[in-house]
Parts: sequence; C-alpha cells; structure tokens
Amino acid sequence: MGKLIIDGLKVDADPNKTVLDVARDLGIEIPTLCHHKSLHPFGSCRICVVEKIWKGESTLQTACTYPAWEGEIRTNSEMVLRARKFILKLMLASAPESEEICKLAEKYQVFETPYKHNPKKWNNKCIMCGLCVRVCDEIMNISAIGFAKRGSERYIATPLDEYSETCSTCGACEFVCPTNAINVSDWTDREIKPHPSIFERGLISRPAVSVHFPQAVPNIPFIDKDVCMHFLNDSCGICEDVCVPEAIDFKQKDKIEEFDVGALVIATGFDLYPLMEIPEYGGGKIPDVIDALQFERLLAASGPTAGVVKRPSDGKIPESVAFIHCVRSRDPEHGVAYCSKICCTYLVKEAMLYKQAMPNGSAYSFYIDIRTGGKGYEEFYQRTKEDWVTFIRGKPARIVQNGDKVQVWSADTLSGESIKLDVDLVVLAPAIIPSAGSVKILKDLRLATDEYGWIKEQHLKLRPLESMIAGIFMAGMVQYPKDITDSVAQASGAAAKVLELFSQPELKRTPTIASVDTEICVGCGYCEETCPYEAIKVDERKKVAEVNAALCEGCGACAASCPSGAAQHKNFFKDQIFAMVVEATKDY
Amino acid sequence: MIKNSQQLNAFAKEIQTKKEKYKGKTIAICNGSSCRALGADKITQLIRDEIKKHNLDVDVVNVLTTGCHGFCERGPLMIIQPEEIFYQKIKPEDVPEIITETIIDDRIIDKLIYNDPKTKKKIVYKPDISFYKKQMRLLFESNEHINPKKIDDYIGIGGYSALAKALTMEPEAIIEEILKAGLRGRGGGGFLTGWKWKFCRNEKNDTKYVICNAAGAFIARSISEGNPHSVIEGMIIGAYAIGAYKGYIYVRHGYPLAIENFNLAIESAKEFGILGQNILESGFDFEIVISRGCGEFIAGESSALIASIEGKAAIPRPKHIHATEKGLWNRPTLLNNIETWANIPFIINRGADCYASVGSEKSKGTKIFSLVGKVNSTGLIEVPMGITLREVIFDIGGGMINGKKFKAVQIGGPSGGLVPESLLDLHLDFDSLKEAGTIMGSSEMIVFDEDNCMVDTAKFFIKYLMDESCGKCTPCREGLVQMHDILCQITDGKGREEHLDMLQELAWGIANTSLCQLGKSAPNPVLSTLKYFKDEYETHIRDKKCPAGVCKALIEYIIDSEKCIGCTLCAKRCPVNAISGEKKNPHEIDPMICIKCGICYEVCPVNAVERK
Ligand SMILES: Cc1cc2nc3c(=O)[nH]c(=O)nc-3n(C[C@H](O)[C@H](O)[C@H](O)COP(=O)(O)O)c2cc1C
Repeated sequence: MGKLIIDGLKVDADPNKTVLDVARDLGIEIPTLCHHKSLHPFGSCRICVVEKIWKGESTLQTACTYPAWEGEIRTNSEMVLRARKFILKLMLASAPESEEICKLAEKYQVFETPYKHNPKKWNNKCIMCGLCVRVCDEIMNISAIGFAKRGSERYIATPLDEYSETCSTCGACEFVCPTNAINVSDWTDREIKPHPSIFERGLISRPAVSVHFPQAVPNIPFIDKDVCMHFLNDSCGICEDVCVPEAIDFKQKDKIEEFDVGALVIATGFDLYPLMEIPEYGGGKIPDVIDALQFERLLAASGPTAGVVKRPSDGKIPESVAFIHCVRSRDPEHGVAYCSKICCTYLVKEAMLYKQAMPNGSAYSFYIDIRTGGKGYEEFYQRTKEDWVTFIRGKPARIVQNGDKVQVWSADTLSGESIKLDVDLVVLAPAIIPSAGSVKILKDLRLATDEYGWIKEQHLKLRPLESMIAGIFMAGMVQYPKDITDSVAQASGAAAKVLELFSQPELKRTPTIASVDTEICVGCGYCEETCPYEAIKVDERKKVAEVNAALCEGCGACAASCPSGAAQHKNFFKDQIFAMVVEATKDY
Repeated sequence: MIKNSQQLNAFAKEIQTKKEKYKGKTIAICNGSSCRALGADKITQLIRDEIKKHNLDVDVVNVLTTGCHGFCERGPLMIIQPEEIFYQKIKPEDVPEIITETIIDDRIIDKLIYNDPKTKKKIVYKPDISFYKKQMRLLFESNEHINPKKIDDYIGIGGYSALAKALTMEPEAIIEEILKAGLRGRGGGGFLTGWKWKFCRNEKNDTKYVICNAAGAFIARSISEGNPHSVIEGMIIGAYAIGAYKGYIYVRHGYPLAIENFNLAIESAKEFGILGQNILESGFDFEIVISRGCGEFIAGESSALIASIEGKAAIPRPKHIHATEKGLWNRPTLLNNIETWANIPFIINRGADCYASVGSEKSKGTKIFSLVGKVNSTGLIEVPMGITLREVIFDIGGGMINGKKFKAVQIGGPSGGLVPESLLDLHLDFDSLKEAGTIMGSSEMIVFDEDNCMVDTAKFFIKYLMDESCGKCTPCREGLVQMHDILCQITDGKGREEHLDMLQELAWGIANTSLCQLGKSAPNPVLSTLKYFKDEYETHIRDKKCPAGVCKALIEYIIDSEKCIGCTLCAKRCPVNAISGEKKNPHEIDPMICIKCGICYEVCPVNAVERK
C-alpha cells in the first residue's frame, strides 16, 4: 500500500478516507466551515485547502473532499496560509457581520480586508456554505430550502420565496449554520419546533437533544420526542453520528420512577407574572421589553450572549435601559396586593451590573418606592443612587415601540412632569407568583394554599416549616416571596426537621386520630371519599374501613360522615364527650 | 430496416450510384440556425416554388437543405453543385434570378458572388475562397452534402460504415485505435480520449453510460444541426467499446433545431436497426436519450452536466473521483464532447495512422473554431491542429477589418487568455495554448484591434464569468465580484497603484482555490492582459487615460476649431444636444453634457472631432 505523508507524518494511504479524516485522526488541525460529519463532503467554502505535492508539483486541494491518496500533503505551508488568508479576506467582505468569521480570520492574522462589501448581498453573515440546505435535504429528506439564483446573487430560499409548506420547522438549518446567519422563521410562519429554552427564558431555543441547563442534576442530555426529527420523520440521527462514546440510543423508553420516602420538602419555586398579560407594557410583543430573569441571563457569562448584554430584536448592545419596578406587585386591581419583596434589590443590582459593563450607557429606574430590606442591601441601593442609575419616581402608564427604540410613558411624581423616554431596552420586574409546578403539586398533595396559591404553613410564626400534612415540609418561594438568604435558611430548617423525624425509632403521632368500630362498620366507603389524606380505606375482603395511623391527621371528617357511627375520633368518642359534658355541667 | 453490414453496404452503394449518375445541379442551401435567422428557410421555400414554376425536373435540379457551412457572416449561403458555385448574402428577391440565370442558363450572378475584402477580387467557386482554402474540413465538409434530417444522405456518404466495422472489432482493439490516433478531448481539457475509454472499459460494473456533451455554443450547435448522425455513430462505437447500453445527448434547451435533428436522427437510426436492440445483428444493444439542458455556461462542465441529467441543479462537484469511475448515478460514465464523438467514425474508417498524420506532434486531427471579432471573415472554421494563429487570422479570417492594427486574440471562450501580436506564430494546439496562458476551452477566437481597450475587454469577460459562476465556492463567487469591481474602478478613472497587486492576488487565489475549471480558468483574461498589456493598465491608473479611447470616464471629445467647417452634422446627431455653434463657424462640445457616445467623432466629415 502506498504511503501518505502528511506534515511529515507517514501513514498508510487510504482512498476511502479524506485527507481531513486522516489529519484529524493524527490530531492535525484543519479549519472547516462547510464540512459536517453527517453530510456528504461539499467543498464550497475552500477554507480547508491543503497543499498536495505529487511528482514535484504543488496543487491546492480541499481536505474535506480529497481522498487520502499516496503522496505528500502539507496542511500549514506558505501556499496554504496564503490561500486561507485569501479566502478569509473574501469572507470578511461578504459576511462582515459574522463574528465567527472575524474570529477565524484573526487566528490567521487577518484583521481587515482590502475587498469591498457587496451591498446587494442577501445576508451579511451568510458565507453560502450550504450546510442549511444540505441538512434539510440529506438529513431531513425535506428540501424545504435550496439555493436560488447563481453567482454572487446566490441566496438561500424556499421555492418562490414563499413560506414553505414542507418545512418541518425543525430548526436544523439554523442550528448547523456556522455563522448564525439563518432563521427558521424566514421559511415558515408556523410554530417553530425547537421549544424556546426554558432556562434561557426563551432568549434562544433548545435543540431536540439537550441538557436542561449547565448545572442540571443529573447532567445528562435528553431527547425531546415532540420535536426530534428522528421520531417525527424517521430521518436525522446526527446526534448518533457525532456522539463519540456512542451513548445515543433511540430505543430507550421514557419511564416513571417511583420512590417510597419518609418525608417531603417542597421547594417548587416561583414564576414571574407573565409579560403576555401585561398589555400596557407591550404584552410580550415588543421584543425589547424583557423581564428581569431574561436580563439576568443576558448578564450571565454562561448565558446565550456569553455575558454581553445584547437586546433580543437585533443583537445590538443597548445604550440605554429602563428598569421598571413593581409591575403587577402591590397592585390589587390588576395583579397581586403583596410586595414581591426581592425585586427592588435585584433590579438595582441588574442596573448596576449593566452600568459596570457599559459605563457610557444610561440606566433609568422607575419605582413607586424602593424597599431594599436585608443585610447590606440598602447600602448597596444608596450607592447606585450616587451616579450610576437615574431613579425616577413614577409608575409607567405605557410602553410602546418607537422606531428601533422603546418608549416609556410615565409621570415623575416628584416633579409632577410627564415623561416620554426613548430607550434601547426595557427590563420589567413583574410580580412573583407561585410556579405552575407548585400549583400542581400542592393540588395533588391536597395541601392547603392561601388566596394567591402560596402553601399554608401549620403556623405562620411557630411552625413555619411544616405544611398542613405531617412529614411534608417547605422551603423557598413555594411559601411566599423571599430572597436567597431566607430560602437557604428555611431549607436548612426543613432539612433539620426531616432529620428530627428520621432520628426517632418510631413515628410518634398525637393520639387523636380516627378509629373504626369493626363491629358496626359495613364498609359503605363514605369515609374513604371524605378523607382528605387518603388515610382511611375499605378493606374489600373484610368489608370494613381501616385507618392508616401514619397518615391520619385527626381532622374528624370521617367521623362526621359515617352514617353508622362506626368511624370515631380516638379520645373523642361520643361517650367520652358526653362524659366530659356531664362533668363540665355538674354543679360544684 | 437494415439487418447487417452487408445490407448497409449495399444500401450505401445504391445511393452512391444514384448520385454518380445524377447529371443535374444540386442547390445546397445552408439551413443552419445562423442562416435561418437571416431568412434561409424562406429562401429555400422560394427556390422550391420557383423550380415548380419553371417545371424543372429533378433530373435538372434538386434542392438540398443542409446544416451549417461555416461562413455564417455571409449568410444566407448556398452552394450550387457540382461546380461549387458559392452564393452569399442571398435575398428573397434574388431567387428567381438564381433559377433562370444560374440553373437554367448556367450564368453566374455577379452580385451574389463573394468579394474578397483583402484582395478585392470576386470569387465564384467555394474552394477558391480564402476562408475555405486553408481549412481542413474532415468533419465539416459533409455538412454541405447531406440533409441532416435524412439518414439516407448520411449513409450515402459512407455513414455508419465505421460502426459496421467497429462491431466486428474487439472492444480493446477499438480503444487501441483511438489511443493510437492520439485524439484528445475537444471539450477543452484535451485529455486523451482513448485513456478515458480505457478507464471506463476497465470498470467492473453492469451499468455504464456514455454521454455526449453538446452543451456548447456555436460549434456544438452546428454539428448537432448539420450532422447529428456522425455523433450518434461515434457514440454507438464508444458504447460498444466500453460496454454501455444507454447514452445521453445533453443539448441546450435553447437550440430547438439541434434537438429536432437529433430526435429525427435517433428515430430514423432506430428504424434502420442502427440503434436499439441487436444493432446490425451484432448482438449489441444501445439506446440514446436526449437530455435538455438549461443553457447555462456552467452546465457544460462535466460534473454539473451530470448533475443536470440526474435532475439536479447544474452545479459542479469536486472531481477527484473521475466520472469514468463514478459518474451518472454513480456509474462508470464516458462523457465526451460532441466534436470528440464526431471524430470517432473517421478514425475507425480511415485508421489511426491516417488520423494521426494530421495535426501537430501532441495534438492530432483537426479542430473546429469559432472565429469572430475584428477580422474580415468570421464563422466556424475547421483547421488542422498546430496551424498558426497568423494563418487563421490573416489567411482564413482575411485579416483585420478596415486594415486596423491587430491587438490581441482571445482563445478558448470567456475564460481564455488574450494573446498579443508577438505570439501570432503560436501553434493552435492544446499544449502551446496552455503555455501562452490561454486554453483550448470552447475553441472560440475573438480578434481585437487597436480600438479595443484591453482593460475594458478583461472587465467584460470577468463580468460574464461573474454572472455565469454558479456561486457554489467562495473564491469564484466572491473573488470575481472583487476583480470586476477593481477593473471597474480602473476603467472609471479611480484606479490606484495597489490595484495591480490586488488583481494579481485575486487571480492567484481564484485560480488556485476554486472548485471547478470555470473558477480555475476565470482569471485568464486578467492574467494575460496584465502580462502582455500591463502598460495599458498603467496608463489607465497613472495617467487616467484610455489609449484605445474606449473607457468613457477617461476620454473626452474635443472639436478642433481649426479643422471644424461648421457643417452642423455633429450638432444634429448629438443625442444630448451637447454641441453648439453657428453654421459655418467652429462648434464646441459642452463636456458637462457630453455622454461620450462618440457619434460626433464618427460623423464628422473632416475629422475635426478628436478623442483624447
Ligand atoms: C465552465 C465550463 C464549461 C464547459 N462547457 C463545455 C461545453 O459546453 N461542452 C463541452 O463539451 N465541454 C465543456 N466543458 C468541458 C467538460 O467539463 C468536459 O471536460 C468535456 O465535456 C469532456 O469531454 P472531452 O474529453 O471529449 O473533451 C466545460 C468545462 C467548464 C469548466
């Protein structure tokens, strides 16, 4: 067999492999843009050119398409570098807005291009690598998009530039694009399959296979069968191709795990009042009006913008941001009557972080009054007032789109003036409300809640960790709005309560629970229906009701509903009560 | 239905004897697309009507509608045989005269004969015309003798006898013969055809294909229209040699006559038992299908063409694996240019040695070129490989129009290089052309004279290539736009010194990193002009002048008041009223209004308008 010498390393020539395969196996880095492991080699971007020397003659060949024939290959020679720089300069001119191309160019010491940008170019990030078109065709078998026109006018389009009927909205085109140039919503007006990422608050979408969020436990990816094209269309399977340890198994089934536990701590968190239900602030339709948690993700280094605050509409870094306090909090008419407690502090913090990232930007804060109770919080707030954030006392009446700006209509209740302020971005602090998960689990567990849906504690002051059911504890916002410090404290307390419970050899209950007189009981089942704790059950064989002493809370509902008087409250038997009554009414 | 080669032979003999016995005249009217566009079909009809009117018997005269004769510029053309009287630029009103004078009375009509622009001599007979004299028309000659719609005509001139012969040969022997003949691909690349056949033969695969690339422009059209059977015969021989059972002819959708003639030829060949099952009782089956192409330039590139036949967009793919191994539908595929195919019958009939005696050392046989531009005689010419440029331009082409000075000739189509006067003795063959920085390509030759600006010319071709680029790969798609932009700046007077280096770098990059041959050869017009006409670029950039007076931004028209006689002709013809002046007094051009169309320059009777 012939030999292939690649950057001086000698390997067996193998025409079934490409030079790129061989180089990567050897750990030699060759840049690629239009290459994708799961797609047929295309050879359009030309960035992977390498020098082939054969019979003393040098030619440039694309590593992604060129068979690993015998001969010599140089991946980093002068000729190769000249060619790559040339290609990158052309790309810088044609896709000037692509950060990825800029970065790659910098790696090759190309910092500017002598060439002109073609103003008629359809998209200033696209490098026409065709990955989107090819993935739609080769992987999804759909071909909803293709190349239109030719030469420098070539662009990516659906047939006749109309919304595609065949587009599956899977989003693979967007996902494979190496320069972030593609938007599925350009091809279809239907709902896009990849759901918005919940963790990223909808700022980006979540692929069909993903990990919930970086610190998720367990930190294992899952496949979303509702959107995965492999399950919907019997196509795709790219994840299988790229997974090195071959961990993808499409045959796995969902399953529900059941655990027997001795205690529960409910810590199901909170939601923010939905933007959609705040019509005067755009009702979620103004892209640059976001909530504080979205802004939190924009500030996060692990967030969708890698910590650079970019507004959702056009990715621009906002030069002015308005922060609105008390949106639907302390507003019994439209929202909730309570104070959400944490918003003032976090919103002041977000304004500060924004100012630190954009010292020349302007931050405005609209408030009713600022409540920054807590250790060190007030001092922090006072500092932001110095010259970081402009505080305007007033609750905005409306927020509207104004060109590419967002306009906040408000009054300054200190000066009595009315204000219309144009900003690049508005961040709202909507009221904190029980999470959908809380609502569901509290209902399933038949735990009592207050008028807003917050879990009821056994005693607000004396037993603030226990729910109305023994063995079920609470921590955090499931109870009412509180900050991290308070949540951690409460969670520690709940954990201690659980340990206390488990440290006893036997479960001690108050003796005032239900009992059934099996002589009288006929097993009619009335008690079973009424019991809120599922603590009383009819034994089908014996036809009598039996009480589970561990579950019974001694509420007395069964006793009250029992038609025969078989169900009774221990220590509150009728004759005991009568005896007590007699005793109590005796003359002394 | 012809069953075997004996019957074919007998049939051919029959036709030939009939022809030999024929004592009347034959009017061979060119009905190629060019002549048709100039009214050839109307003239054909009129000739027929006139013959009827005079009650002339077929023994006296018959009409032959043929394919292209090559001298398209002079159309509509006719040749009256057996004398080979050459009539040109025939108008409908000339027809009665042709019949009464030439056919009935044997008199030459003076106004219809060819007037040599160089020698100013009138020439009656076709072989005496310098345009034809230096040609060697191995393929094209038969165009004048057959009606492409009639298979009988083709068989009559010995058609399909090569096929009959080939079918008695071993496939390997046929391939040896083609190799020995030294035939190289006429599609431009010049790859040894025999090698291609051999590779394809050696592939072990039950299904193989042959393809005829007739995607080209004038040459492909004139062969398709004028002698489709020669191509079909070549293809059957090729298919037999490599073991293919199906062939495709890829023709431009925009050439309906070519498609019609191919269709007719295929049908009649089938009827004759020359195509289809058990061809000439050899046991060999072969069918041909016509595939219509979109007519894009890139569709002629072999991998794009194959994609197009497969029903995909005509976009090239990397060709490290040759079509002979994995071509159409990933099967071994023998793809040859139409002219390559048309050469096959000749080689089989006359033998490799005879064929190889024509041409230069490494390029054998003849080659058809399309000769256009600033020469006196333009059209399609067939010359032996190795002929010099000078012979083509000054003998066949009859020299430069109006005695202007030759400047350059572009060879090989839009991506060919421009060759200067110093290289006029260049031999026209694959290797010499490559050495001179151009290509055989599509075998088009465009001659430029002193009035052509080389920067502007390069810009023109780059614009064409930029528009025809499929847009798949970065260097061709983006690079050509940048090249064009720089050339525009230079011709607009905004050229900068660094533009020359930028053009060089772009040319290097595009040529070395493009995916297909279109991109790889696209920089040729720029590279060759930078090499041979650098001074023109420099004058544009440094002096902001266009020596040829073409680039509008760099020229101005001025009326020499000494010379101007005030005839007002220029003022009257100026489309934007930029010229003012009293009658009989010197006129003036207002440079702010002037659009530099040059009409004043052309109409001035005393050459008082100067271009600077
Ligand atoms: C841009 C481009 C256009 C081409 N156009 C044609 C064409 O019109 N006709 C043709 O026969 N070959 C054309 N070719 C060459 C073909 O790719 C191929 O080499 C040729 O058809 C092979 O046949 P041959 O070996 O008989 O020459 C073209 C090549 C390129 C790069």
